[in-house]
Amino acid sequence: MLLLYRASQSRGHEEVSETVKEDIGMKQHWMVRAISKTLTLIPIPFHSSRASFSSPSSSFALKNVTRSNFELSLADLRRHVRDSDFVSIDLEMTGVTSAPWRESFEFDRFDVRYLKVKDSAEKFAVVQFGVCPFRWDSTKQSFIAHPHNFYIFPRQEVGAYDPSYEFLCQTASIDFLAKYQFDFNLCVKEGISYLSRALEDAARLHLHSTHEDELSESPCTTKEIKDVPLVRMADILFVERMRNKISEWHDDLLQIRNRRSSQIPEDSNDSMNQFQTIFFRMRPAIKLNGFTSRQLRLIKSVIQKSFKDLAYIRVNGASCLEQFIVYTNSRRDLELLMKEVKGDLCKEAEMKIGAAIGFRHVIDLLSSEQKLIVGHNCFLDIAHVCRKFVGPLPSNLEEYVTLVQKNFPYIIDTKILLNASNVLQLKMKKSSTSLSKAFAILCPHIASGVSSSGLAPSSVTVEVQVDDMRSSNWNSGAKHEAGYDAFMTGCIFAQSCSHLNIDFSSHSMLMKEEKLQKYINLLYLSWSCGDIVNIKTGGTTTESSAFNTFKIQPTKILFPNIAIIWGFPSKLKAREIKESLCKVFGLTSVTSIYHLDRTAVFVQFNKSELVSDFLELKSRLEKKNDAISVFHPLSELLEGGNTRAASYEVYKEICGSPISKVLFADQAEAVGINLNTKLLENKVQENGSFANSQSPIDTKTADIKQPLKCTSGSSKFPKGEMLDIVSC
Amino acid sequence: MPPFPMLRRRFLCTQTSNLSLFNQKPVGRQWPIKQVTKSNFSDSLHELKNKISDSDFVAVSLQNTGSYSSPWHRLLPFDTAEIAYLKAKYAAERFQILQFSVCPFSVRASNKLTAYPFNFHLFPRDEHKIGMPCYSFSCQPSYLTSMAQEDFDFNVCIYDGISYLSRAQESAAKGQMENPVSSGYVAQSPSSRSVADNVFVERIKSRVGHWISACKHSDTRTNDVLVNSLRKLILGGEDYGLRPSLNIDVCSERQVQLVFEMVKSGYENVVPLIIPAKGGGAQAVRVVLTSSKEDRDLLEKELQNMEEEQSKRVRGFREVIDLISTSRKPVVAHKSLNDFTFIHSKFLAPLPSTMDEFRSSLHSVFPNILDVNHLMKEIGPLNKYTNVPAAISYLKRNFFAPIEIEIPQKASVEESKNHGHNVVRISELFAKLCFILKIAPETETHNPDGPSTLKCYSNVLNLGSNSFQDSNEDDDISAWTHNPTKISINNLLFLWGFRSGTSARRLKNLLCKSHEKLSEDVFDVRLVDKNCAVVVFWKTGLSEWFLTTIDSGDGELRELAAEGLMAVGYEAYKRVCKSEILGADLADSLAEFDREASEAHTEESAEVYWNNELMINLDDL
Repeated sequence: MLLLYRASQSRGHEEVSETVKEDIGMKQHWMVRAISKTLTLIPIPFHSSRASFSSPSSSFALKNVTRSNFELSLADLRRHVRDSDFVSIDLEMTGVTSAPWRESFEFDRFDVRYLKVKDSAEKFAVVQFGVCPFRWDSTKQSFIAHPHNFYIFPRQEVGAYDPSYEFLCQTASIDFLAKYQFDFNLCVKEGISYLSRALEDAARLHLHSTHEDELSESPCTTKEIKDVPLVRMADILFVERMRNKISEWHDDLLQIRNRRSSQIPEDSNDSMNQFQTIFFRMRPAIKLNGFTSRQLRLIKSVIQKSFKDLAYIRVNGASCLEQFIVYTNSRRDLELLMKEVKGDLCKEAEMKIGAAIGFRHVIDLLSSEQKLIVGHNCFLDIAHVCRKFVGPLPSNLEEYVTLVQKNFPYIIDTKILLNASNVLQLKMKKSSTSLSKAFAILCPHIASGVSSSGLAPSSVTVEVQVDDMRSSNWNSGAKHEAGYDAFMTGCIFAQSCSHLNIDFSSHSMLMKEEKLQKYINLLYLSWSCGDIVNIKTGGTTTESSAFNTFKIQPTKILFPNIAIIWGFPSKLKAREIKESLCKVFGLTSVTSIYHLDRTAVFVQFNKSELVSDFLELKSRLEKKNDAISVFHPLSELLEGGNTRAASYEVYKEICGSPISKVLFADQAEAVGINLNTKLLENKVQENGSFANSQSPIDTKTADIKQPLKCTSGSSKFPKGEMLDIVSC
Repeated sequence: MPPFPMLRRRFLCTQTSNLSLFNQKPVGRQWPIKQVTKSNFSDSLHELKNKISDSDFVAVSLQNTGSYSSPWHRLLPFDTAEIAYLKAKYAAERFQILQFSVCPFSVRASNKLTAYPFNFHLFPRDEHKIGMPCYSFSCQPSYLTSMAQEDFDFNVCIYDGISYLSRAQESAAKGQMENPVSSGYVAQSPSSRSVADNVFVERIKSRVGHWISACKHSDTRTNDVLVNSLRKLILGGEDYGLRPSLNIDVCSERQVQLVFEMVKSGYENVVPLIIPAKGGGAQAVRVVLTSSKEDRDLLEKELQNMEEEQSKRVRGFREVIDLISTSRKPVVAHKSLNDFTFIHSKFLAPLPSTMDEFRSSLHSVFPNILDVNHLMKEIGPLNKYTNVPAAISYLKRNFFAPIEIEIPQKASVEESKNHGHNVVRISELFAKLCFILKIAPETETHNPDGPSTLKCYSNVLNLGSNSFQDSNEDDDISAWTHNPTKISINNLLFLWGFRSGTSARRLKNLLCKSHEKLSEDVFDVRLVDKNCAVVVFWKTGLSEWFLTTIDSGDGELRELAAEGLMAVGYEAYKRVCKSEILGADLADSLAEFDREASEAHTEESAEVYWNNELMINLDDL
């Protein structure tokens, strides 16, 4: 899925359908192969690791991990990760963009791109997490890979209801997952839950503060719980009966203690089943069975009122709450008992929080082992990892980069590697760097499952181990399964290293390898536009397109020159908008126009002043609303009275909003209502007599742009006379 | 009425109660419910249509992906009708329906329920590649988890669920579908044509004429493949099915109209079709040549059938909604406000911004909605029984209302795949309630115009403790469920800024200690969520005093203000509920709106002042 959407972000719809087609083709191919070959699963004993070298292609399933086998698998994974040279990862999510206009555009600045990725990571859920540790076995001259496929589901196990667990599903992505036979039932029922570090801290803090609260209050004085009003006859009788029963037990107990006799009061009364005499923390106690909650409340009040040396205690039993009446021989003893019970509760809650960490253990493992993390176009993946398992994402790219750096100091993106290295570009024959394409081209011996003998010397062999099964030419064929995608990514990386003449046998660590330093910690913010961020330094660059001739940037984008217009009549196309703007501001005034969706466009002017000129002219025209303005060239654009315009900064603000409407015009309106009502009122106030309905955003930009006000503007216009008429 | 109603009922009951006991074994009761997915949809639709027309009522029940994003987004006891609607709207716009069960049923002889339950699996797949019915939807994990515990099959929904388009989406999509459309062009009276129009028409006319004669000519010739394909290349013609056709590019609606007029007036055997452009509008007009008048009629019929098929596929599951709507049968639901906001937003049109608009829009489609919750209220304070099984068991314990359920249809009773029982339970609950309230449902439906007992229960959209028939009473709400006294919303305050997790009792003590006016018995405090509480004053005027005093900061409630306590009136809460995003934490949302309001407030007062000045001036004159 990721692959597909990465492609879709980059090269539009043709590429998507191509990728899908290619995928389907591959699938069929695999199926045929699977049938034609005998499947030999070779179970090997634990220690004889040479058993299955150069066996025929085997296709046992990769390691699927769910709730039921998580604990065991985690223990194995710890070992594998510790021994590994690098770990590749891949994620499957429930969606990528929460609205069409949140896809990656050419006109997105670095900070806007980050906001879009942040929005995606905040809204969608991760449903599958592929982790594949790779270890170089120098005796075999081969990598050993352990592909793991974790099903995860954001089930909330502890704490008060937290809305951040709610997630969005993009219909197309869900449909896509379904196409690759994703098991949604398994995911919801058996998916591993998780708790981010931030939520864990919050839960522990909450637990301790309430615990201390309770300790600070002495157990007897503050129990001012109102008596259950005894309104019903039955209640009064019940309370009286209980009082008698308990005092009987109490007296017996004291007698026994005083006389040290062994006479045990065996009551044959069947109601005595409800009173089971036991010892609770070395103290004689009654376990209360089979009472309703109202009855229990009544019993509690009786105890508090009538028995000073008895305590009513509720604890979590094996399956449900258990209630006890416990005898304490002094007030100090009572306090001690209360403390013990509360301590237990607290410990129990701590345990629960610990157990709720779930899948985050894997992330903590990757983070603490400081292994080299390998992903394919993994900026979004890393953002998901941070959001889901660390905490809320910071509001700007710089802080985010620090956060990533702190947790994952070494990340390598195979997509960057393939595009930036000359050697690899040649090997790739300039073909698409999508995951499956790259895998097929760079690792044909793995992709097609050919036996390892007779390979080109540069081919890296990868042996796959799943539990006790091993194969040197393994292929599960389950594409778009996170575990398999992670495996492919790792293979691409291993093969790339080999092409770069990196010696795996040398004892230095891979991330310290000189030849990789050019590529390490670089991630694509947007691969299609070649925007790269360095997560070590926070620096951003745009890829020099020396090797990517197909990614030519026609003009440099100057963000201050950009205005964004939305809400215009939907029949208007970019060409017509450009024409009407050129009529006003001059033939060369508009450099480019780009549709966000059918309701909105970016307009890049050749001068930044033109943005404010345009915004001012627009609001002037709207205020006038007389016969002359109808003939103005912009009237077509303003037709309908819903056309809004703003500078680029407002676009950023809109992208940063948590709201996601499908159409940009609706989005802008929704955000505008929330943020700028007061500004609108402000403006109306100032202008007093104007009864026009000005867009809040316009007002806002007008406010911002006021100092830049360009009074000589009209003289620049070729059609100045007409403007004069309009503006006077 | 039969002569000895009591006796007779008693007599019947002893028999049937045994029967119903037998039928309703408490654990693992499995009714045969027809499961409908993509593959058997069109057959089931036909069946459902018959069952609806044979039955007196239609019960509906929905299974959604969630119902609230934050605890305070649920319906709270102090919500007015309008706010209840806004909250339901918020949920309906975010979450998705995964299962829609429909159960046409009749009640005969006062206790025999005949039901035909269907359970439709839905998924909003974009089947026509037009970005509809929905781009994305929210899921509440706790909801999905509890569904999974009931063995809900998500794979069936997602893999084989039926898609749909709402009425509004269908009309919007018409232009976007890439299929030729023939209808839609009613020949307008030949309007005055400009010179350009005439030139265009003449050019097209000669081109079409040329093409027709060439086509006719070619019939007599030998079928040389090469010659034919060359001719096609030159003439620009294609085959439309077995008939020759020609595409005429147009660049405006006007030209489409001209081509249609020209073809209709000039050529009897030519059928014009519009080829829609991707973004709506027309891209070209395709003219298809038929061999005779009969052939033309045949083609037109074919086209009509095709369009019908097409629109059927576009509507998808909405056919069911349309069926229920056109049947005019009373629709029985539980939690009707929730269900019908979902139905309205997914299958009719986007939800309007006010309750009244929603009510009238819904009424035009479903004129008769019966809420079992509302019927329940007739027989006692049953606010607690918010789910159907609990309500049924309550009735079983307290009333004698034996209902015999008969489900004549056969369906595979596979344990894991049999979903949608709730809709049968709703039917059962409805029959029980009618029995207890002595309403005879079968006579009700046969005289729809006559005085009907059920009528007074219909169209009361009901949810939880409040019923919202009359929107005039929206200033009064019944505050606490235990204490159903009506109080004005003006006596309510929202309080926040206390330490998270403080109990209501402690807050009340804090307030009591802060001022002598705030004695124990003049107000009460409840927590809305862990950071926000609602205070109700039993005396009018106190809330205003409290607000102004705490706002001034240095007044008599200085201590409270110093602790960071903040308060706003009900208006702010209303505004928050109206906003685009309700926000996870009510205190945060209130604070945000309060800040904005206070900034706007100063300006507002300034405006009033300015107006006053103006008025004085006028008086002087």
